[in-house]
Amino acid sequence: MKLGVLSADRPLVWMLPLIFMLVAFTIVPLFYNIWLSFHEYAPFKRQLVYVGMQNWQQLFADPRMWESFGTTMFYFVVVLSAEVVLGMAIALLLDEEEFGFGLLRTILTLTLVVPPAIVGMMYLLIEDPEFGVLTWVLSSLGIMDKSTPILATASTALWGVMLADIWQWTPFMVLIFLAGLRSLPPEPYEAAMLDGASAWMTFRRITLPLMSKVIAVAVLIRGIDIFRMFDYVFVMTSGGPGTSTYTLSLYSWQQTFSFIKWGYGATLSLFALVVILVIANLFIWAARVRW
Amino acid sequence: MVVRSKTSRVLRTVAGWAVVALFAFPLYYWLTVAFKDGNEIFNWPPKIFSFTPTVKNFEEVFGISLGFGFGEQREVLPGGGNWRMGPRLWDSIVIAVLSTALAVSIATLASYALSRMHFRGRHHFVSWVLSTRMMPPVAVAIPVFFIYKDLSLLDTYTGVILIHALMNLPLAVLLMKSFFDDIPREIDESAMVDGASRWLIFRRIVLPMVKGGIAATAVLCFIFSWTEFLFVLTLTQTGLKTVPVVSSTFVTSTGTAWGNMAALGAAAMIPAFLFILLVQKHLVRGLTLGSVKQ
Repeated sequence: MKLGVLSADRPLVWMLPLIFMLVAFTIVPLFYNIWLSFHEYAPFKRQLVYVGMQNWQQLFADPRMWESFGTTMFYFVVVLSAEVVLGMAIALLLDEEEFGFGLLRTILTLTLVVPPAIVGMMYLLIEDPEFGVLTWVLSSLGIMDKSTPILATASTALWGVMLADIWQWTPFMVLIFLAGLRSLPPEPYEAAMLDGASAWMTFRRITLPLMSKVIAVAVLIRGIDIFRMFDYVFVMTSGGPGTSTYTLSLYSWQQTFSFIKWGYGATLSLFALVVILVIANLFIWAARVRW
Repeated sequence: MVVRSKTSRVLRTVAGWAVVALFAFPLYYWLTVAFKDGNEIFNWPPKIFSFTPTVKNFEEVFGISLGFGFGEQREVLPGGGNWRMGPRLWDSIVIAVLSTALAVSIATLASYALSRMHFRGRHHFVSWVLSTRMMPPVAVAIPVFFIYKDLSLLDTYTGVILIHALMNLPLAVLLMKSFFDDIPREIDESAMVDGASRWLIFRRIVLPMVKGGIAATAVLCFIFSWTEFLFVLTLTQTGLKTVPVVSSTFVTSTGTAWGNMAALGAAAMIPAFLFILLVQKHLVRGLTLGSVKQ
């Protein structure tokens, strides 16, 4: 055993490639982004010029930033709750060995591997005002008329996008919750049955507390992804109609790459980064999630 | 076990099938569109079960003749673009395979140390890896775009492979660490007493024991690279494109070629479907970054 800088007994040697990647692709870009947020592209000079705090002042005064922040948070709350509640309900439903349930659990995994951008396209077709299946179902039921296109009406467009997200990721919750339900000890349930507890009481007082760790992990992972969602809005609505479906991610991407506001786009993306880090770490601390 | 009445069991079975049918329906419908001729896609009411299947869409997208249906090949389709998607499928494969290999190798080495060796700040290091998972892709893509521009890495395989590997590293590290943690430390320690070096223990003893874990990690990395959208959209221009990004080229000013798009989408889903079936056993552990075990 050679003792040297590159000895295999040093943990650093094993982690060097990982550290290199993380520094090169998260730390360096982070500082570059911060630097960028104090500059702005000047179209006439064709270069970046120093603008001081201007982008940061603009950020907090920009009504469109607050609107997209509001949209992001609304989307976050609705989609996350829907996925948790539906996921739990379906997991409880499928947590038995009835006819074909093994196959059903396998089928549910399939939505997870479809590229979200293609899911967006699928729902674009399904919600199409001219020949979409959902439009047809809704107009047959008299809920919505063909003359109100789901994705081109400001009041319904975000719901149309949410539907794609909920469809694709509720099975994610189902699978995680099923794994959690299966690892529960049988004893508390036997005791509850002897005491004559109702199904709802058993769920509230036994299943939920025992599942809290699993639920917290699922909420954390899914919550992060919902907050930074980009693909669905990009392909389904591009933020429209008007500005009704802009999320923070889409807004900052568009400022940078469509409007050549390199500095402001960077500022917006940093703001999104700070918000998600704060929310996620508060959640990790409050729910005592450990890795 | 709880004894349930016959009625409630029947109800549960029916409800279970109905719910899953609802989730499977969009996939089924997308598949029918891939096999539909244009007119039938635009039908009102939508044709759900009865239509005349054709492989024309697949033939057009991949530039091949399947020997039945429409034999005639159209080089340029309405909208003027080249819709041959074979090369884009190849781009997707190259990027997914190489970025997976890179991420899994780096992660396996690092997570062995994180699982087996004690050092100061180990816990903070794990938190750092986890917080990388929280970064919005857009906050990475914007600076990396400018860095790549200076380094001439835009529009290259290398550039996309590196960023996809990075994107998958938090998952790969935390998941591999959980697989290493499953192996009793005594195995390492007794080999160490016998005078084996760290590297030898890793190569000959521990690594063969986590083969299943490596496979599961690799499959998940592959799928996430295969389905990734924002980085490829931002960091490539004309040289290469993966399937999710190139799908939008079917949306043209003269209308959307839904049939062709669905054919490409359906073809792109097949490898991911097959892979996910292989790792069912470790799927939940993978999706929760190693923290919920099945």
